[in-house]
Amino acid sequence: MSWQIYAAGDQQHAVVDSLPELKALTQATTGKAFRRIGRFIQLALIGASRCVQGQQLPTDTGVYFASGRGDLELTLEIMTQLYRDAQTPKPLNFVNTVSNAACFYLAQHFALQARSNFVCNRYFAFESVLQLATLDLTMGAVTSALVGSVDIATAPLNDHRQRLQQSRDTAMGEGSHWLWIGPMNAQRPRLGEILAAQHFADKEALVEWIKRCIDAQQCQFAAGQFLSSPELQHIRGAGGLNDEFDYRSERAYYDSQSGAVMSEFLRNPSKATQLLHINADEMGRYSVMWVAR
Amino acid sequence: MRDCFFAGAALHTSLGRDIDAHLTALQFGPAAPGHATAKFAAREQVLPYKLLRDLPLLSIETRLYDVLYAVIREAIAAAGLNHNEQRRLGLFLGTSSFDIGVTEHRYREALLNNNNALAMDQSSTMGQVATQIRRRFDLRGPDYSFNTACTASANALIYADAMVRSGQLDHALVVGVETFNAITALGFHGLQLLTPTTMQPFSPERNGLILGEGCSALVLSHRPHDRNRFRLLGHGNLCDTHGMSAANPDGSTVSYVIEQALQRAALTPQDIVAVKTHGTASLSNDEAEAAGMRRVFTRMPPLTALKPYLGHTLGACGLNELLLFCAAADQGFLIATPGIGIGDDKLGVSLNQTPIDLPRGHFMLNYFGFGGNNTALIVSNQETP
Repeated sequence: MSWQIYAAGDQQHAVVDSLPELKALTQATTGKAFRRIGRFIQLALIGASRCVQGQQLPTDTGVYFASGRGDLELTLEIMTQLYRDAQTPKPLNFVNTVSNAACFYLAQHFALQARSNFVCNRYFAFESVLQLATLDLTMGAVTSALVGSVDIATAPLNDHRQRLQQSRDTAMGEGSHWLWIGPMNAQRPRLGEILAAQHFADKEALVEWIKRCIDAQQCQFAAGQFLSSPELQHIRGAGGLNDEFDYRSERAYYDSQSGAVMSEFLRNPSKATQLLHINADEMGRYSVMWVAR
Repeated sequence: MRDCFFAGAALHTSLGRDIDAHLTALQFGPAAPGHATAKFAAREQVLPYKLLRDLPLLSIETRLYDVLYAVIREAIAAAGLNHNEQRRLGLFLGTSSFDIGVTEHRYREALLNNNNALAMDQSSTMGQVATQIRRRFDLRGPDYSFNTACTASANALIYADAMVRSGQLDHALVVGVETFNAITALGFHGLQLLTPTTMQPFSPERNGLILGEGCSALVLSHRPHDRNRFRLLGHGNLCDTHGMSAANPDGSTVSYVIEQALQRAALTPQDIVAVKTHGTASLSNDEAEAAGMRRVFTRMPPLTALKPYLGHTLGACGLNELLLFCAAADQGFLIATPGIGIGDDKLGVSLNQTPIDLPRGHFMLNYFGFGGNNTALIVSNQETP
């Protein structure tokens, strides 16, 4: 079963000296002045609004939101205030620490009356929610899905690098990546098709699947951010994958970069009609997203 | 679409370390809470709390994983999975606080030596708990950490069930966990939602909630051990945009998820034998939940609430309360809350006061969370054809 990509949108930027102000951009992108929300929710609203582009989503569109680290800025603020400054959590700050607060603002902004889920995964953040969204579509739980991931930077940047175990010269960034997907529908815009969003327990299972399902002549591949070079070489060789699509080498570091690959591929003029994105985790498990123009 | 059964379960809360201990504790009615001390900077705040039974608030670095590993090990053993089946398990974790208690502890210790110590320097990813569980049990299936406040582990169950039914997985491990941390405790204290006494949902005397610790695990399987095992029959879930911290008091968004669950289970309201309410003993929750149920049920089934026993175990309450409810139902009774929820005339609902016989059948469980996440589950132990 494949799923149509009706729309895609992103907000991504490098963070150089200080964290970029997002309030004005949120208002400009959404057309609304949101009060009392932090940068995590702002970035979610910006990315999702760029995806939706003012279209009216069906009310039974589910929200599937992922992150590697969630609203790290707010969690750090509360933790340092409590333990260093002896200030207990402010009520509104505390309520906003629930990660699905971001889902609430998204559902409210897009006037949705369906399910929402906030899911965390260190290695496969975007892949995870794409799997859940396609599962819900398959089971008929929703008729369309707004699927996205957000990870933000925190100040000071060197502390942020240390937390993310990045070297002091790593360029740091933030990203918000969103897709609006659903069943094949000729009445809706068709940016592309999701052919698979699938998990593999090990390399052997992945390679066997690639050999069985992928035509390397028409399919580019992209390496996810946690796929090591030796693993990549092995899978390339075993699966006969030759044509690499690079969406990460110029990208500043943040978690959940996988969310960027589909819209980058669909925007990018290329002869290849399909893309296979392969990501890995520290245990040697794999997750793929397979998309067609 | 395949069937999916509850194949093995384990539970550790303030009532006890295993399910039998929970059933024994129920005989004595809801107990008064104990206390936990939130230590921050040079200050301390003592708060009412229902801590894990027989697991004192010591060894914070390891305590979370001690309880998690013990409960998961017991559930996997109860399900009778072999090594290969265990290896292919998908992991569906529901929690609101992850390992924040461990992170707090490390930061507090670090600040004793260095006032500029870096917070969250060792663990800032929300996937850390799932990562540790995967490594410990060599789980190679997919893993999902649900963080939707008080509905987290209920939502985790919904997706685990769907993956087994759809054939994507043969077995799934659902885990709910919530352990003490100062941010959550002081956050609820700051919201003035805590009572020093007993939780009294659906009572005019309601005075707030007690936080509780809890950890539960449930293995789902496509393989029927016997035909009258509990299984998830239907569910409803809605992002309720009425308000960030409460469902719509007119009951419309609560009734929506209940009706959704009934529809998916192909049942009518009359088919529901009993309901486990969310019952947080806050006026806004009681009003919304009562109004929602009144909209659906012309004849109200017997109602119970389990937070007076367990405290509010937040992201873990979905699974903790489900397993406790099912354990009692398997023994043939509906849990009572003597003296609690006798009736609030304004709400028009009351809780079951004495344990009543419960036939096999279909049961509803409600959960509502901050961030507007509403979930209703329908489970059944009626024999499958």
